[in-house]
Amino acid sequence: MLLAILVSNSAGNILLERFNGIPSEERLHWRTFMVKLGADNLKGARNEELFVASQKSVYIVYTVLGGVCIYIVGKDEYDELALTEVMFVITSSIKDACGKSPSERLFLEKYGKICLCLDEIVWQGILENTEKERIRRLIGLKPPNPTEI
Amino acid sequence: MAQPLVKKDDDRDDEADYSPFLGIEKGAVLQEARVFNDPQLDPRRCSQVITKLLYLLNQGETFTKVEATEVFFAVTKLFQSKDIGLRRMVYVMIKELSPSADEVIIVTSSLMKDMTSKTDMYRANAIRVLCRITDGTLLTQIERYLKQAIVDKNPVVASAALVSGIHLLQTNPEIVKRWSNEVQEAVQSRAALVQFHALALLHQIRQNDRLAVNKLVSSLTKGSVRSPLAQCLLIRYTSQVIRESANTQAGDRPFYDFLEGCLRHKAEMVIFEAARAITELNGVTTRELTPAITVLQLFLSSSKPVLRFAAVRTLNKVAMTHPMAVTNCNIDMESLISDQNRSIATLAITTLLKTGNESSVDRLMKQITNFMSDIADEFKIVVVEAIRSLCLKFPLKHRSLMNFLSNILREEGGFDYKKAIVDSIVILIRDIPEAKETGLLHLCEFIEDCEFTYLSTQILHFLGIEGPKTSDPSKYIRYIYNRVHLENATVRAAAVSTLAKFGAMVDTLKPRIFVLLRRCLFDNDDEVRDRATLYLNTLGGDGAVVQTGEDVKEFLFGSLDIPLVNLENSLKNYEPSEESFDIYSVPREVKTQPLAEKKAPGKKPTGLGAPPAGPPSTVDAYEKLLFSIPEFANFGKLFKSSAPVELTEAETEYAVNVVKHIFDGHVVFQYNCTNTIPEQLLENVTVIVDASEAEEFAEVASKPLKSLPYDSPGQTFVAFEKPEGTPAIGKFSNMLRFIVKEVDPSTGEAEDDGVEDEYQLEELEVVAADYILKVGVSNFRNAWENMGADCERIDEYGLGPRESLAEAVNAVIDLLGMQPCEGTEVVPNNSRSHTCLLSGVYIGNVKVLVRLQFGLDGPKDVAMKLAVRSEDESVSDAIHEIVASG
Repeated sequence: MLLAILVSNSAGNILLERFNGIPSEERLHWRTFMVKLGADNLKGARNEELFVASQKSVYIVYTVLGGVCIYIVGKDEYDELALTEVMFVITSSIKDACGKSPSERLFLEKYGKICLCLDEIVWQGILENTEKERIRRLIGLKPPNPTEI
Repeated sequence: MAQPLVKKDDDRDDEADYSPFLGIEKGAVLQEARVFNDPQLDPRRCSQVITKLLYLLNQGETFTKVEATEVFFAVTKLFQSKDIGLRRMVYVMIKELSPSADEVIIVTSSLMKDMTSKTDMYRANAIRVLCRITDGTLLTQIERYLKQAIVDKNPVVASAALVSGIHLLQTNPEIVKRWSNEVQEAVQSRAALVQFHALALLHQIRQNDRLAVNKLVSSLTKGSVRSPLAQCLLIRYTSQVIRESANTQAGDRPFYDFLEGCLRHKAEMVIFEAARAITELNGVTTRELTPAITVLQLFLSSSKPVLRFAAVRTLNKVAMTHPMAVTNCNIDMESLISDQNRSIATLAITTLLKTGNESSVDRLMKQITNFMSDIADEFKIVVVEAIRSLCLKFPLKHRSLMNFLSNILREEGGFDYKKAIVDSIVILIRDIPEAKETGLLHLCEFIEDCEFTYLSTQILHFLGIEGPKTSDPSKYIRYIYNRVHLENATVRAAAVSTLAKFGAMVDTLKPRIFVLLRRCLFDNDDEVRDRATLYLNTLGGDGAVVQTGEDVKEFLFGSLDIPLVNLENSLKNYEPSEESFDIYSVPREVKTQPLAEKKAPGKKPTGLGAPPAGPPSTVDAYEKLLFSIPEFANFGKLFKSSAPVELTEAETEYAVNVVKHIFDGHVVFQYNCTNTIPEQLLENVTVIVDASEAEEFAEVASKPLKSLPYDSPGQTFVAFEKPEGTPAIGKFSNMLRFIVKEVDPSTGEAEDDGVEDEYQLEELEVVAADYILKVGVSNFRNAWENMGADCERIDEYGLGPRESLAEAVNAVIDLLGMQPCEGTEVVPNNSRSHTCLLSGVYIGNVKVLVRLQFGLDGPKDVAMKLAVRSEDESVSDAIHEIVASG
């Protein structure tokens, strides 16, 4: 299960969060934990450099993409390597939606499109689509290219 | 007219500061959402408003029920628009709002229309939305379309239906299980993602059918799986099959070749998954392990931190069971100590500590010292624990390891970290005699500057035990006495006790200790002064070099041998008077029914064995307790004690439960009573039992409870004689009788005169199940066949109309009080028949096995076939009688 996807700006303010199967009273804890993780480790990190951590039985993979930080939390089958895969899909789709690694402003400008991308990538905690081309077509309600099935 | 969401601004300098959602407010956005109701829809504007709503929701904002309903109804109007972008947003919005069951109906028809649309993308999205908001009834209506969608030629539609299936399996398993043919077909799909989702769903549908999973794995491991994700799933399912078949098959491990082959896959994810699966095989051999370790070793030097982390994490686990297999990776692992990712570095260090040999310890410690300063406490604790194990493994290295621990003890750190270090030093002192003196001195130095009261008192206590046994106990006195000057009252009191211990154990030090203790008589804290006075008066000799008597040592420092909870309660109830507190009046029985737990709804009474200070098992504890009562001592061996049965409602004045103790020829009722009224003291508490509805029972003894103060549970017993070896049953009515004395709440004193009173308790039954012990068997079929059919009795029963098959099964299990075997007490949903296997021991130590076959006869009527095998045919008959009369 993919427990959470969080996007914050470099100052640690949450821009977007999606939780699956985490009760609302525990969300603050996760939010704080991840933002602290970012503050401790992401300073000076290269664009899209992947970071990894584990806390009890869950895994966290996080990175910097332009002006935003992205955190993904998973457990069970979504271990660190599966999360890397998910992160790759998310970063490439966001870049696709924004045309480049987004600044915070660009990210917010393309917010609606990014929400649609995430909706195609993760559905209630399960990875659904993994190809950015396909996702781009899907968010426009276009069928995927038959060649890239 | 459309308003641009973002203000076009030529000045790009302030780009970073500008947010298109600056000052966004929920109320305003909800107002804006009225635009959805416009007769002439503006798709662009509507999309912008939905984006704002999504932004709010994604920030953790919540809508009230009314707000959500309003937005939901407005959003449904947007189905009128043909704009594709807007439609996509509408789908997301409905999912985010997750409307309630009564609202869903508004949108169902639009979604159903989309689901049967010719446009593939409408179909896929409508499926996802419908499955998100649907309930069981709607699902049966759309099931046909979903089954079609699973095998749709468009992979997006198929994936949408399959992922829906994965979610719906949690809520409506019986419906989704009917799709297995279609899912099976989808597993063969050419589209990689469809195959991945289909495999996941198919496995979930069949996970309880071992044979089916085996077949699935066998067929897929031979063929080609298209996506790496699906390949990872297949590896996991394969390991499951290997695990389950390990006990039944001899020779080569099945599917190992497949796992080994995956180590050469082109996707790192698959390689890693296979390597991990191999390392986790039960009883894995070195030959099997080697190729997996080799690929993990390559990952250790990968440029990707995630791969390094995954590899070192797996190797760390392997090091626990096969340290030798990991030693080859030690050089790569050492380079990871300086890895920027602290999780990786910590894992590398702890792995090295597990696999390193004696000669490498010093080099390793040097590297760790540099590393410790820049990791968080939680990682430091892991390292400290690993060092502790290493020291126990190589005791000769205690000097350098102890030095390391004392150095880090001096550095900054939180309580948990410091506690982990202190615990480690204490363990090393206990286990390695040579490390004792240096270890104690390290601890002494630590308490000179320790900010944690808890740790200071623990160390002082430990010093009191170990210090006097060293070659020169006097050198510790300075550190201990410093505490009396410098610390808070708790630590000072602990220091006084420690000083006294030195005085008691080391006769030559006694005069000097007396001088120090006398100084403590002027302390400004009561407890410190009291302790000093007590020790000065009891140690004796008036400061001369004399031996302290063993009885004094035992009195001062020996264990109390009574449950501390009971002592605490008795002390609270003790009223200061001429009569001194008598420690022998403290009950030694472990508290059976704490008040707090009694009041907590749904919590089971813990019974005698639960508290940590309690005896090893409940039955042993009961047996001990009953044998200590002379009236019951000759009843023979205790056969069974029931779980406590409540005889009062929750939160009544007196809380009483009863435990039924079954002997061969007797039954003893143990009434556990608690008085919940602070203003009352109960005395001479008994239970008057009326056994007129239990003809075979005759009362032979009753043991009253002398006194029952507030919130201090006590027990009273009543014993009955019954025909030997038979399962006599009956009903007993109970009346609590006692003398109640008023207690003055201000002084806590009870009045001299009391009034006799009674309190009606609920009835109690002795049932057939009380004569059967729950004793399981590991292999029912073997046990059944070994028992043979000599004393078998088979009969059929109609159980009449029942709520469900599961309810009928549970009722029969409860009636017989036997142990369900092999998980057969669980009845799958919607089953029409079920077999349940039970095992137990009947009074007289006769083994009994029961096979129950249930079937639904008509819509609700349950019929049951009961087959009993035992070592004695009369027992088989007795089981049938229990069922026939139940």
